[in-house]
Amino acid sequence: MLDAIKDVVRKSSIHVCIVNCGGCNGCDVELVALLSPRYDLEQYGIYVHNNPREADVLLLTGAVTEQWIENLRRIYTKAPEPKIVVAVGNCPQSGDVFNQEGGKVHAPASDFIPVDAEIPGCPPRPSEILEAILTVAPGAIASKGRNQK
Amino acid sequence: MILPIGPIHPGLKEPLRLKLETEGEKVVKAEIDYGYVHRGIEKIMEGKTWQKGIFLAERVCGICSYEHTQTFAETIEKISDVDVPLRAHFLRVLTNELDRIQSHLLANSTFFKTLDHETLFMQSLDLREPIMDSIELLTGNRVNMGWNVVGGVKMDADDSHFKPILKNLDIVEERLQRYTELFAEGPLIALRSKNVGKMTKEEAIRGRAVGPIGRASGIKHDLRNDHHVYKDYFDFNVIWRKEGDNYARTMNRLDEIPECISLIRQAIENMPKGEVRIKADIKSGYAEWRNEAPRGEVAYMAETNGNLIKHISIRTPSIMNIDSCAKYMLKDVPTVTDAIATYASADPCIACAERVSIVDEKGNSTVKNFYEVV
Repeated sequence: MLDAIKDVVRKSSIHVCIVNCGGCNGCDVELVALLSPRYDLEQYGIYVHNNPREADVLLLTGAVTEQWIENLRRIYTKAPEPKIVVAVGNCPQSGDVFNQEGGKVHAPASDFIPVDAEIPGCPPRPSEILEAILTVAPGAIASKGRNQK
Repeated sequence: MILPIGPIHPGLKEPLRLKLETEGEKVVKAEIDYGYVHRGIEKIMEGKTWQKGIFLAERVCGICSYEHTQTFAETIEKISDVDVPLRAHFLRVLTNELDRIQSHLLANSTFFKTLDHETLFMQSLDLREPIMDSIELLTGNRVNMGWNVVGGVKMDADDSHFKPILKNLDIVEERLQRYTELFAEGPLIALRSKNVGKMTKEEAIRGRAVGPIGRASGIKHDLRNDHHVYKDYFDFNVIWRKEGDNYARTMNRLDEIPECISLIRQAIENMPKGEVRIKADIKSGYAEWRNEAPRGEVAYMAETNGNLIKHISIRTPSIMNIDSCAKYMLKDVPTVTDAIATYASADPCIACAERVSIVDEKGNSTVKNFYEVV
């Protein structure tokens, strides 16, 4: 009974934590632009909390740097179940321009934590990020919650 | 007690660890841990051609990505004595100022967010969108524009671009005036921001603060004054203040936006005719170039060997600003909440700051290649 109610509520109330694990900041800027009245993230029930302990969705930006390998795993374990991870931009998927000889990055991020959805682009447009969160998050959170039992 | 904040924290936008030493609520000392987003861009650039280097320079920092490409291009142009067409220079100024406006608005909105002033936060972000539209119209992208190349700019622009930009600027100018008044005369904002996080001129010089942060503390220095295009063809005032507190830093950025708008209008009005890009013949050599990014002085020191970049070192403004923030602004802040606001007012951009250079304190010489030392 309680889980059924939680499933319904989770669909319209998504807490987001942005984890910048070593990018150029461009995707983060577009995520901040999502808060602006034009895109208005909050009218879809998405709230950027930036606290992994309360997050339903982890938004990964940036190619994974040396310092982040352990911290990424720690942040992932701190987020409560059910959780989904959305990789924003090219960096967490391929490392973009940083994944070359001499670079100190360890992309892709899916080597370290399971990634549910990927949004390509350098950086992706705010509307694309919004669409991806809305397509993936509510259903995935609800179904993951049910599988947990 | 020592209070660690970060790397992931509701108050911070980017990964960085802030260690605050507190006595009750009062912050007495602060320390900053870097290194979370070090990607090794300078090392990647070594041995690459300059055509590839400009894409890497763009991704040093996402917020002021434009200025990095311009400085990179101008460094290579200085090495090989490329005479860039004047129209390209004007188009560069136009895009540069658009980029500066959006960066200042973003920095201010982050500060308003830390003050919990949701109204101004939303309104400055909303005000930023027409500017982002103008940038997208002109260059085709919102953030990483790919607009500069060595020898000019990629595309030409005409009246179909300039007219909507001027229209957007009118909207921005009118609304900005209202928000500036709202900020300047709000009694609660004044309580939270005046006399908080003070940095005197001497401290700013000792901390090597640059850009709007240094100018808010009384250092009247703007590198655009020394740039040959700004010096010869444009007319603008350097905005500076004496107070050196959070209010002054935010007000300084707000006051700079009308100057940027006037520079854009001058650029569009006096736009010369001609080519926008010439074929560059790249030589070997060493050159240094500095430009005024939204956060302060950006310097590129590059050595090329034919088409290849032999060695490059990049100096960004954020590292000095964050350092002087930790050393001087945060040393006497009344509460922890104000400490977060003070940190946000220094306009930190961590992605820029993750670069290594070793300064020899006795000999005053910078070690050229960090990787040779390690």
